[in-house]
Amino acid sequence: MNAARSLYNFFKSVRLAVVLIIVLVLLCLLSTFVPQGRPESWYQAAKVLRLDSFFSSAIFLVPVCLFTLNLGFCTVDRFVRRARTRVQRRYGPDLVHIGLLILITAGLVTALGRQEATWSLAEGQEAGIGSGYTLRLLSFQFLRYENGSPREWISTVDVVRDGRREIAAYPIEVNHPLRLSGISVYQSSWDVNGTLRLKDSEGRDVAPPSPGDYFEQGDSRWVFVAYERDGETWTARFQRSVGGALAETRVLRPGDTVGPFTVTGIAAQEVTGLKAVRDPGLAPFLVAVLLVTTGLCLTFIQKRGDTST
Amino acid sequence: MMATIALILIVTAAVFQAGFLLRRENRRDPVSHWILAAAAVLLLASLVHRSIRIQFAAVTNTYESLLFFSAALCAVLFTLRMVRRTQGFSPFVLFGATIVALALLAISSSPLAPRAIQPPIPALRSFWLVLHVTFSFIGEAFFVVSFIAAIVFLASRGEDRRAEMDRLVAAAVGIGYPVFTAGALVFGAIWAETAWGAWWSWDPKETWALVTWLIYTAYLHTRLVKKLRGRVSAVLAIVGFAATVFTWFGVNYLLSGLHSYG
Repeated sequence: MNAARSLYNFFKSVRLAVVLIIVLVLLCLLSTFVPQGRPESWYQAAKVLRLDSFFSSAIFLVPVCLFTLNLGFCTVDRFVRRARTRVQRRYGPDLVHIGLLILITAGLVTALGRQEATWSLAEGQEAGIGSGYTLRLLSFQFLRYENGSPREWISTVDVVRDGRREIAAYPIEVNHPLRLSGISVYQSSWDVNGTLRLKDSEGRDVAPPSPGDYFEQGDSRWVFVAYERDGETWTARFQRSVGGALAETRVLRPGDTVGPFTVTGIAAQEVTGLKAVRDPGLAPFLVAVLLVTTGLCLTFIQKRGDTST
Repeated sequence: MMATIALILIVTAAVFQAGFLLRRENRRDPVSHWILAAAAVLLLASLVHRSIRIQFAAVTNTYESLLFFSAALCAVLFTLRMVRRTQGFSPFVLFGATIVALALLAISSSPLAPRAIQPPIPALRSFWLVLHVTFSFIGEAFFVVSFIAAIVFLASRGEDRRAEMDRLVAAAVGIGYPVFTAGALVFGAIWAETAWGAWWSWDPKETWALVTWLIYTAYLHTRLVKKLRGRVSAVLAIVGFAATVFTWFGVNYLLSGLHSYG
């Protein structure tokens, strides 16, 4: 009985809370200075301690478990004391503590159950995203500011389920995901799928290059940088560098030459990158932040009330 | 231009405060907080002007965040000076925090914070981002006050002065903590979920924001333990502010992650 009482007193201790918080602070700091999830072999020592996947290692999870127990015992103890003494107490900290317990649970649920998948779609293409849903891309727009920097990427989609269109022409934008039951779809990237056709100086077709490919000509290096859109026409941007320094940029159309090569055709298409996420921890996370926020507001209001009286 | 005038005003306020401190009258000057209020208004006007130019709330780069932080700090100092008229808000704390506001504006005019007006990239065009940034900095403005008061606490010998500073640190953290929690962690996580589909990614900035929050959480809990109250609490308030500064500035320049927007 005494052992149980001692254990209870140990886990409800505020001192333990302070110690565990400081331990967690030190561990979090350590994690930010060790690169995470890298395949290189140069930090074998870090790998032995599982510092390369720090937040799923025992070094981190054991203190988190102890902190969760501490938080749970403190929460229960506050309720027990209130029931015994029937003293009017502040409810704010209780809400914050319960919210944090739910938040830790949400983090665990997310870590174990979150699924995500990405698709690259061109206009007219479809992708099955699970739960019977199919997305059909109606259009993809890349909006720019006057200075040319990106303003918005908009993928307009139809949502089809069991052969029936459930949502028509929904614009998925960054910060404006499509929410379906249990699945959210995010605008995550964009790309250009293209084919650059070239002939060499003897009129032979060469293998189409990809952005990033290069060839040498004398002391120069020509790099195929990207496909670019000029109104309805597609172009290919090349850069020439000498000794690592940029010497020239050229935007090529069919018929133009670059080094020993002649452009015979450019076919390209913008594709949107969509990411579908199923996160069973999202709902408990939202409940948790609501409780924490309400609890903090309540604590603040009650404290102000106490001070003014 | 408005930011430059604000800088001159804050220098003027600091000179007034220093003059009163040097006269050792332990009396607060009657005008510097009004000068700080004027500086805050000018800085906010400058941000409104930039917002109109980019057609979005101008809190999306380092320069704008420095201006907002400085404005929030000036506004907090003015408010505390007005509210805590008779007790607690010592001239030392007002002077120290004014110097911090001045340092923020000095950094804003350095090459570390390019002032070119750039419209935000798509990920930053979010209502949640605006709440995330503004609430975080308002919370951190109170942390500045707690930081200076904690230093004064540790440097003081008289029990009355120490008790006064202890109360001020607790009051500043008491207000700053819920605002910072809402801004840095709650609104930040909601924004991350809306933009990237993950409410927590252990990105270095997120991790450091959590570290800052944990330190201030530890501070609040030391207030409940008699033996830890006082010196340990004050040290935690100082360490907490150091973590705040690193979260905001150090992570941007020393660690990479989702928040590397410059």
